[in-house]
Amino acid sequence: MSRFLALLLALACAPAFGQDVQALLKQADAYRLTAQAERVETEVRVLKSGSLDKTRLYNVYVKPGRRSLVVFRSPSERGQKLLMLGDDFWLVLPTSQRPLRITPLQKLLGDASTGDVASLTWAEDYDGRVVGETEKQGVLCLKLDIAGQRKGVSYPRIVLYLAKSDHHPVYAELYVASDKLAKEAVYEMGRVGGKPQVVAMILTDRIQRDRVTEVHYLSRAAKELPDGYYNPAFLVRSDIEN
Amino acid sequence: MRRTCLFACALGLAPPALADGGADVAWTTRYIGELHAGRGDSPFALGLPLTSFGRDSQRLEQEARGKLGPVSLLLTGTLSGQEGAEPKSHLLANEAYADFGSGADRFSIGKKILSAGVGYGFRPLDVLQRERRLRMLPPQLDGVPQLSWQRFTADDAWSVILANPGHGERGDPKTDGSLALRWYGRRDGVDLHGVARASQRFGLEAGGGFSAVPSPALELHGEFLAASRGERMAPQDGALAGPALLAPTGNLQTEVVHAPVKALGGFTWTTETGWSFVGEAWWDGTAPSAADWQRLAAQAAARNALAGLPGVPAAAVAGSQAAATRMFQDPGFGRRAALAHLAWSDPAGGNWSGYADLLATLEDRGWTATAALAWQGDRTRMDVGVRRYGGAPASAYRLLPERGIAFIGVSLSY
Repeated sequence: MSRFLALLLALACAPAFGQDVQALLKQADAYRLTAQAERVETEVRVLKSGSLDKTRLYNVYVKPGRRSLVVFRSPSERGQKLLMLGDDFWLVLPTSQRPLRITPLQKLLGDASTGDVASLTWAEDYDGRVVGETEKQGVLCLKLDIAGQRKGVSYPRIVLYLAKSDHHPVYAELYVASDKLAKEAVYEMGRVGGKPQVVAMILTDRIQRDRVTEVHYLSRAAKELPDGYYNPAFLVRSDIEN
Repeated sequence: MRRTCLFACALGLAPPALADGGADVAWTTRYIGELHAGRGDSPFALGLPLTSFGRDSQRLEQEARGKLGPVSLLLTGTLSGQEGAEPKSHLLANEAYADFGSGADRFSIGKKILSAGVGYGFRPLDVLQRERRLRMLPPQLDGVPQLSWQRFTADDAWSVILANPGHGERGDPKTDGSLALRWYGRRDGVDLHGVARASQRFGLEAGGGFSAVPSPALELHGEFLAASRGERMAPQDGALAGPALLAPTGNLQTEVVHAPVKALGGFTWTTETGWSFVGEAWWDGTAPSAADWQRLAAQAAARNALAGLPGVPAAAVAGSQAAATRMFQDPGFGRRAALAHLAWSDPAGGNWSGYADLLATLEDRGWTATAALAWQGDRTRMDVGVRRYGGAPASAYRLLPERGIAFIGVSLSY
């Protein structure tokens, strides 16, 4: 009897399992990034044992082609900039004012992982398959197991849960290179300009369990910077922001 | 009184004034204290009362960083004190420049930090800013007056920089007038750097460098520079004796080095648990040799032997010994050197980070070791650490008239 039920369940899920993962990821991305090129004002709140430990503010300039420029705005980080070009990363520190080439692992360090702040899409970086359906955060979801297709991704493996109804992101398990579960992400939805959007991402650290990072997307505006702005040598100029 | 007023302005009165003008400025107040342990058996001991070696010091800095209209600013007011000396205060515009232009062509005018290079412990390509490396809680860099044109594409950047316009050869190479061409290019994921600089003092300097990340954990880098001329400070050649040893210059002289070369190779290994390790080795053709340090030690010992002899003024011995310690102002203590730097940051975004490093000068077998710990809160940061010097008896780090330094830094950003 139980085998029969399992077969029935598998048959019922088969259409979902066969869905085009890239199409699903593109639909999910649309809830995080509204335009092809955008300026996203982001606030990160780090909570330790439930208390606010620190707040950080970033302006993120995203452009197609896996290009992100992060300008650090908090007083204690003022003058820092991080540039992501595909799998390559550079950091400018105010004490030296020269672009430093950093490894993909180094971009995961810092007060808030700049990889979490700067990466706003999955479709360009990941591929995988639908592995089931389950309820998460009270929402019936498609469960996707996706793997990074490039070496520079922050998390080489993600188990992503998208709402079955409209494919908005609900929940994710983020794995680091050693396949250790590093963080769990919960995506909070809201309405921005009348459209449903992800307004916050709540990251719970699975290694240091008392640590929660809230990433709040304060504003999004279509803005396309010229290609030259994404040149590492441009980082030391003040044309964008200081 | 005027200086006190200026400093008070920098400490507290300026923020609202600038804010009223619509400025976008972040402020940092910083305190740094250093405890210095002198080396009692130093061959320069007779001259040390005339120097700052072995004296505890502290400084209070107020920093303003941001934009005032089109002008980018970095201003610091500093109140510093040293054991046995009057406190000093000064205001400095570390940077005050305007970047402008549109499209691919961009311009910059004013005083700006112009650091360059891919190394951590040594940077041959840093021919304009000439930043001193591996200092503990250093003050903000002081920019270079410049006028520059830059051309950017997605993968290349060309810069023509006129630094210190109107200056010829000044007291410090950093303040010399020069014309420089810098190029940055990205090819197959590899960063490439090139520089050429022409100045009255060094003639033509030219070099290149690279930085690459062949795996998610590993970064490799290297750079080199060749110059038509260089300079270095060294003790006078030849066997000196008697009054000749008591020159007010400490028997040091600036020597011209013909066609010096500087080169560095290194790597950074990183882990997802927050550890990173930097390993570097370099050659600095303008740094003192082991023979220079041996000569310096021999001359200091010969001066000590003169002290107390009839007709030899004690002040002359002390003055010459003090002047000889200028040799330690050279930013590089050895031509061949290697650095190992281990650091940790909490990968979960925690408050603590730390590092330990060892710099060894390979020709004279000297070393300096540093360990430091930092705590970063929302707006507050604390740093504590120690540095120790040692090595073979005639090595530069062993001759240094200090055994070590303990330091603390506290800063508040707002």
